[in-house]
Amino acid sequence: MAARVRSRQALTGYVFVLPAVALFAVMGVYTVGYGLALSFARWNGFTPYWTWVGVGNYLDLIYRDPTIAPIVQGAAVRTVVVMIAQPVLTVLISFPLAVALNRITLLRAAFRTVFFLPQVTAGIALYYAWSYALQPDGSLNFILRHLGLGTIAQPQGWLGNPATALPTLIVVAVFGAVPVAMLLYLTGLQSIDQSVIDAARVDGAGGLRTMTSVVWPLLLPITGAVVVLNLRDALQGFSQTLLMTNGGPGGHTLVLGLESYNLAFFSGLKPTLGLSSALGWILFVIALLLAAVNLRALRSRA
Amino acid sequence: MGTMRCGGRVLAVVAALAVVTTACGGGSGSGDGTTLSMWTFKQTHVKALEAAAAVFKAQTGITVNITAYTPDDTYTSKVQSAAASHNVADVLEVHAGGEDRVLGGAGIISDLAPDVNDQYKSRFLKGTADTGLITEQVYQDSLKPKATDPGVQKGQLYSVPFTAGTFGIVYANKDMLTAAGVDASKPPSSWQELISWLKATHDRNPRAGGVTMGLKSSSTGLDWALEPMAFAQLGRRDYEALFGTDKAKSWGSPNGQKVLEQYDQLTPYWTAGTQTLAIDEADRAFAQGKSAFDVGGTFTISAIQQNGLNPDKILSFPIPAPEGSVTSDFKLAPIALTGLSLSAQTPNRDAALKWVDFLTRQQQAGAFAQAALDLPGTDLGADASKLVGPYLSTMEAAFGSGDSAYNPGDSTFMGPTWDIEAAGDILVKMSPLKELDPAGTNAQLAVYNNSVNSGK
Repeated sequence: MAARVRSRQALTGYVFVLPAVALFAVMGVYTVGYGLALSFARWNGFTPYWTWVGVGNYLDLIYRDPTIAPIVQGAAVRTVVVMIAQPVLTVLISFPLAVALNRITLLRAAFRTVFFLPQVTAGIALYYAWSYALQPDGSLNFILRHLGLGTIAQPQGWLGNPATALPTLIVVAVFGAVPVAMLLYLTGLQSIDQSVIDAARVDGAGGLRTMTSVVWPLLLPITGAVVVLNLRDALQGFSQTLLMTNGGPGGHTLVLGLESYNLAFFSGLKPTLGLSSALGWILFVIALLLAAVNLRALRSRA
Repeated sequence: MGTMRCGGRVLAVVAALAVVTTACGGGSGSGDGTTLSMWTFKQTHVKALEAAAAVFKAQTGITVNITAYTPDDTYTSKVQSAAASHNVADVLEVHAGGEDRVLGGAGIISDLAPDVNDQYKSRFLKGTADTGLITEQVYQDSLKPKATDPGVQKGQLYSVPFTAGTFGIVYANKDMLTAAGVDASKPPSSWQELISWLKATHDRNPRAGGVTMGLKSSSTGLDWALEPMAFAQLGRRDYEALFGTDKAKSWGSPNGQKVLEQYDQLTPYWTAGTQTLAIDEADRAFAQGKSAFDVGGTFTISAIQQNGLNPDKILSFPIPAPEGSVTSDFKLAPIALTGLSLSAQTPNRDAALKWVDFLTRQQQAGAFAQAALDLPGTDLGADASKLVGPYLSTMEAAFGSGDSAYNPGDSTFMGPTWDIEAAGDILVKMSPLKELDPAGTNAQLAVYNNSVNSGK
């Protein structure tokens, strides 16, 4: 009798889950499989036939095609720079910010809202606003000049100078990433048992020692999550670069995510959809490996 | 390498879902020839096309529904998915001389050759009528492994010109010219004189006296300024040889050095930050008086006007030839920028042909040009000024044909995978970024050109 009830309950569960599984099978598994297959083919998106090239797309991207490989290699270097800088800066800014917010009681909610605002503002609007602020006659240069810091101002704009364009994009990306990271850290801080902090103090640990030896290690899993989120964004994101610089000036901000997009949609209808898909899969594998390494390293230390 | 017919199936599923969920999205018209659908990727054409459709309905009783899908990549995706689900509009506005061949080779649009004879073609601007034609050269190129338009056959015609124009038009602010002591009543006679004008306006107003262009798309510097200038300077044969395999004449040679040094004369005069501006943003900056010069195409005039600058304040002229140029009587050849194509799936072919014929007749083309501020592919003849106003007709006056006319639509002499953005990035590193000098730029363009031609 009990077995029959359990079976019926299980069946009911499967029936409820089935639509979601079916939808995922069609929109998820099938399209993922389709994308993987496309990475082994040459196609312009219109012809009824694909031309199979095996691993040719992967080889062309990595070293074989002299017109594409150098561009991909340059984009890879820039992507690595972003992958290092963005997570590090995000952690360096969001963790102290969360600690500070956790300590204050007056206006905490107001500050939290202010710091979270960039996250709720639509990315596109944010990118355009930044673009205007960073122009030669934009507000950033204006402020610097009126503060007597005119030598720092960029006459060609912060996105027009090859030396400042990529760092500026990283700063804008960090600006967008800090709110979520800060909120995660704040949640983590508020979940730490006060008795642990008290015990550290009883043992004679000062504020800094408590922070570095107790709080920071306890929050390592959160740091892991923040780093993974930012790594993924740095590796695969392209909308910010597309809107703010389109990879310029002179290709100095072209990153792999944008190159994949360009190969898919802005290659003059050349048959490069397979190349784009292959690049997407390369990025996926790298992201997967980095996430696994990162989570394992931080989890073991925690 | 094998082939497999599977790309369309997934698109069909996706498209079918899209159709089910939206229950709309265009597609072909009624099937009985009384209602047609037309898609365009140009929002600025919609009102003008709707006005034309109203006149067409009054004349024929056929209704035409116009829908725009923008930007270009959205339009491309729409046509891809609609083709897979057999739901393409009866008539498509396409990028002429490229997209039409891709769609034709894939069997999405139909061959117009049986319906467009020489008399029909004679209505179009000289040199534009065969933009959608599959010539022997186009056919041979289509057989190459990485061709964009596999499947085309020699003699097929996949579009007729709808709008036309050319690149390499300079727009100058007359007030700024006058303030700098430059005679704004006539264009500069040479590249050198243009540079002297730039120097004058820049000296007068260093912040806003320079030249702008949408260099965020780095191809514009190459496509709109350097190439027409190089064509004039070197002559057709040596210009085309720059992109060839003869190292004595291609990029990296003294000829390459010569044109790059000439182009580099612009470097001191770019408006600050012009390398961060998109094409529309550059036009807007010029219209707002942030720059004395703007380089674009015939189509730029409408953007400038829409941004509020009175055309009376503008002096426009083609990129002038440098002194001592090989090409005498340098002109710009008009090219069809967009074309009209018929879906291969349309059940309304006769009605669709009537609509295309109507749109490309002289009177209607003039009305369209006035409404859309765009130059039609139809030759407006002596009535041009009356039909399209003085500014667009001035553009027509800059057109020419033959060996002394630069044709930006002709890329048959370039390597098969020449990517104008990749080459444009190299040029931007020289001007305006000053990271490379002309010799370094010449060397990098040589490396790129050789790699492109290694696939020949």
